[in-house]
Amino acid sequence: MSEGDLLHVVASDNIGPTRRTLGLALIWGSPTVLGLVALAQTLQAWAGFDFGFTNWRPTLYAYVLYAGCLCWGQVLVKGEQGKRILFVLPAALFVVSLTVFPLLFGLVIAFSDWNLSSLDGRQFNGVANLVQMWHDPFYWNALTNMVWYVLAILPEYVVAFALALMLNADIRGQKFFRVAFLMPLMLSPVAVSWMIGKSMMETRFGPLANLMKHLGWEEPSFFSSPWIAKSTMMLMDAWTFIPFMMIMILAGLQAIPKELQEAARVDGASGWRSFWEVTFPLMLPVSITAVLIRLIFKLKLADIVITVTSGGPGGATDTVTSFIFREYRDRSNVGYGTMLAMVYLVIIIVAMTLLMKAADRYMKSSY
Amino acid sequence: MKVELYNQVVNSGMTRRGVLKGAASVGALSMMGSLISAKAAMAQDDLRQQILAIPGVGNGSPTDADWQKVGELCLGGTKSNVAEGEFAGVELTFFGINNNGLHNILFRGFLASWEKYTGAKINWIDLAQADYNPRLQQSIATGTVDFDILAMGAPLEGDTAGQGLLDEMPDWVKTQIEMDDYVSYLQAPVGTWAGKTYRITIDGDCHTFAYRKDYFGEGSISGLTEAPTTWQGVNAYSAAVKGQKDPLTGQDAIGYLDPLKGWGGFGFYFLEDRATAYVKYPGNPAWLFEPETMKPMVNNPGWVQAIQDVMDNIPNMPADQINADPGTTAFQQFLAGTGSGVCWWGDVGSNAKTSDTSVVGDVVGFSINPGSDKVYNPTAAAWETPATPNFAPNMAFLGWGVYVTNRVSADEKKRKAAWSVAAHLGGKDISLWMAAYPSGFQPYRNSHFNYEEWAAAGYDRAFVEDYLGSNADSYNHPNAAIEPRIPGIFQYYSVAEDELAKGYAGTYASAQETADAIAAAWEKITDQIGRDGQIALYKASLGM
Repeated sequence: MSEGDLLHVVASDNIGPTRRTLGLALIWGSPTVLGLVALAQTLQAWAGFDFGFTNWRPTLYAYVLYAGCLCWGQVLVKGEQGKRILFVLPAALFVVSLTVFPLLFGLVIAFSDWNLSSLDGRQFNGVANLVQMWHDPFYWNALTNMVWYVLAILPEYVVAFALALMLNADIRGQKFFRVAFLMPLMLSPVAVSWMIGKSMMETRFGPLANLMKHLGWEEPSFFSSPWIAKSTMMLMDAWTFIPFMMIMILAGLQAIPKELQEAARVDGASGWRSFWEVTFPLMLPVSITAVLIRLIFKLKLADIVITVTSGGPGGATDTVTSFIFREYRDRSNVGYGTMLAMVYLVIIIVAMTLLMKAADRYMKSSY
Repeated sequence: MKVELYNQVVNSGMTRRGVLKGAASVGALSMMGSLISAKAAMAQDDLRQQILAIPGVGNGSPTDADWQKVGELCLGGTKSNVAEGEFAGVELTFFGINNNGLHNILFRGFLASWEKYTGAKINWIDLAQADYNPRLQQSIATGTVDFDILAMGAPLEGDTAGQGLLDEMPDWVKTQIEMDDYVSYLQAPVGTWAGKTYRITIDGDCHTFAYRKDYFGEGSISGLTEAPTTWQGVNAYSAAVKGQKDPLTGQDAIGYLDPLKGWGGFGFYFLEDRATAYVKYPGNPAWLFEPETMKPMVNNPGWVQAIQDVMDNIPNMPADQINADPGTTAFQQFLAGTGSGVCWWGDVGSNAKTSDTSVVGDVVGFSINPGSDKVYNPTAAAWETPATPNFAPNMAFLGWGVYVTNRVSADEKKRKAAWSVAAHLGGKDISLWMAAYPSGFQPYRNSHFNYEEWAAAGYDRAFVEDYLGSNADSYNHPNAAIEPRIPGIFQYYSVAEDELAKGYAGTYASAQETADAIAAAWEKITDQIGRDGQIALYKASLGM
C-alpha cells in the first residue's frame, strides 16, 4: 500500500479468518443461490418442471440478495478498501440491472418472430427481421429523414451561438432575456406540439396561419406538403432545443478570460476578426460537446412528430423512433420493432463514436 | 320475474320470502298482477323520464354530478341481486379508455353509488384510444392481465375470448340487463365465443352519414335540393361548394370531410365507409378477405374506387386535411362548423345537440352511409349496376361491451362483484341515458328507439327521428357490412393507414398501387399470425 493510500485510512483493518470466510461465503454463496433460482425458474418456464413458481420475482429477489451480499462481502473481506468499493459497486450493479440485462433480453426478442396476436407466441427466426428491415421502405425513408433532421443542427448551432453572444454582451434586460430564451426548453414537446403545431399553425384560426394569409400565402398549411412539413417540424424542434445549446455556449463564453479579447482589440482586431480568431476557437470544445449532446436529442426525435403528423404526409416527417413506435405499438410487432430499435442503437453508437474520435483528432491537431 | 316487478312488490311492503312462500301470497300476487304490471311499467317510465331530465337537453354538457345522480337512480337492478355491503373488501380493476373525458370517466360517476352500496372498490386503468389496443395485446401476450373488467370492442373478442381469457356470463346477469332487448345484429354470435356468452353490450356501433341541412335545399350553395345518397353524389357536391361561403359560419364552405391521418388503426373504418358501398355485394358476407384463403380483397376494383374517391376529394377539403384524424373531422371540424358532411359513430348525433362545443345542432341531418350507383361483384370479378344504389352500412367496431376476465373466476365473491359492475353499466335504463347524452356510446337496444322518450327529454322530435332513424336503418339493413372478429384486426388497419397516408400524399403513383401495397402488407400479417387459424376464425365470424 502506498503512502498516498495510507493517508485515507481512518481505522486499522483487523480482518480475522472467520470474518474473511463469512465474506467469501457471502460473495460466492449468493450468486450460487441466484443461479439456482434462475435455473429452476428457467426449467419451469421452458422444460416442463414444476417448482411452484407463479412469476419471475424469486429471481429478482435472488438478484437483490446477491447484490446486497456482494457489497457486504467486500467490506468483510477487504475492510476499509471494501468500504471504498461501496462508493461505486451499488451504482455499477444498478447500471447493469437497468441496461445490460434489458439489452440482453432485447437482443433475444430482436431475433424473434413475435406478433402479440399470434397464438404461437415468440419464435426464434434468426436474421429474418434484418432481411425484412433491409427491404422495408418505411425504415429507409425514416433513416433518410433523420439525415435531414440531423443536418438541421448546423443552422441551430449558428442561431444558438448568435443568441449566446447577444446574451453575453452588456445589453438591457439581460436577465429577462436569458430566462425568456430558456422558456421553450422547459416546455414538454407534446405541449409544443399542441400549442404551436396544432393551434397556432391551425389553418382556419391559428395566429401564425392568419399572419401568413396577411403576408400573401393564400391557403397556409404547414404540414400538407412534404418539404414544408419537414421544415416546420425542424423549426418546432429547433425552437425547443436551441436554448439548450445556447445556454451551454453562453456558459463557455462567460468562462473565456476577458483579457484575451481585450488584448485582441489592443492589437487592432476588428469585432469579426476577434470573434473568428479568438472567441470561436476557444469555444470549440464547448461547441462540440453542445452539438454532440444535441445530436443525441435529435436522434430521439419522435414526440412532436407523433402528435402533429403521425409521420405524414406520406412519411415525409417520419423519424426512426416514430416509425418504431407505430410498428411496435399499433401493430404489436414486437420482434421486428425491437430489431429496428437495436439496429438504430448500433448506428447511433457507431456514428457517435466516429464523431467523437474525429472531434478529438481535430482538436488535438488544431491546438 | 322482472326486476322492476319484484322491486314494485318489495316497495309495496312485501319481502322476498313473503313473495315466494305460500299459496296465499302467490294468490295475492296473481290478483295483483295487472295492477303491479301497470305500476311497474309506470315506475320504470318515471325513472326513464327522470334520468333523461338530467341535466336536460339544452342545459349544457352533463357533469360528474349528473353521472352520479343517474348511476344512483339506476341502482335498482343491482339492489335486486346484491345485498348492501355484500362486496365489502373486494377490489376490482377496470380497464378502458378515457376519450373526450368520457367512457371510464363517465363510468366512475355511474359507479360511485354502486361502490357505496356494495362496499367494493374499483381501481381504474384509463387509456387513450390509440394506446388501448397495444396495452391490451401486451397484457395478453406477456401473461400480465392485470384487470378484472374491461371495456372492449367486439372485434377484439378473437384476441381475448379466443384465448380463453374471459369469464362466462352468469344467467342472473342476463336477466338483470334484459339481453333480449338488444337490436338483432348485436345478438349472438356477437358477444359469444364457442357458444358461451361473454359480453354485456353497452354500445351499438355503426357509422352513419351526418350532413349539414343548410347546404341543401332550394337556393342552397350546393345547388341540390336534398343531401346526396351516393358517394358519387357526395364527391360531386363537395366539388360544387368549393369556393363558396358556409351559410352558418361565413367561413369557406367545405363538402365531405375524409380523415386522412391515421388513428391507431381506427382511421381505416372511414375508408370502409366509402368502400362497403362498392364492395359489399348483397348476399356475400365477405368484403375484407376471401374466406377460403384470407387473400385480401382490399386491392379489388371496388376498394380501389373508394381510395380514388378519397384522393379526388382531397382538393375540396381544408388545406391541412392530410393531418386530420377521425376525431378531428368529427369534433374539431364538423361539430365546430367546418365541413358539411362526415361519417361517424352515433355520438356525433347526441353531441350535436348536447355538447357545448357543437354549433350545428339546429342544422344537422342524418342518414345511413351513402351508397353507390355501381357495385363490384367479387365472384364474377365484374362491376354491376343495380337498379337502385347499393347500400352497405358499416357496422364499424360492433360497439363497446363490458367483459369480465378469468382472473376472478376462482373467487365467487369477486366474480359476482365484477359481473355486478358490468350489469350496472349495461342496464336497460342507464343505457337510455348513455344513448341520449354524450357518453361515447350510441343506441343499441330496441327500447332506445322510442322517440317519445327522447322528445320528452327535450330533443326535437324531428331531429331524433332523423338521428335515431339513421341508426335503426343501419342496424337493420339487410346488406350491413359486419366486421370480422379475428385476432390482430387492428394490425391490418394500422398498416393500411400507413400505406394510405403514402397514397394520399402522392408517394404511390395511383390508388391501385396504394391498394396493392396494403394487400401485400396484409398478407405478411396473416402469415405472421397464422393463416390457417385466421381462416377458421374469419369464416366463423362470418357464420360460414
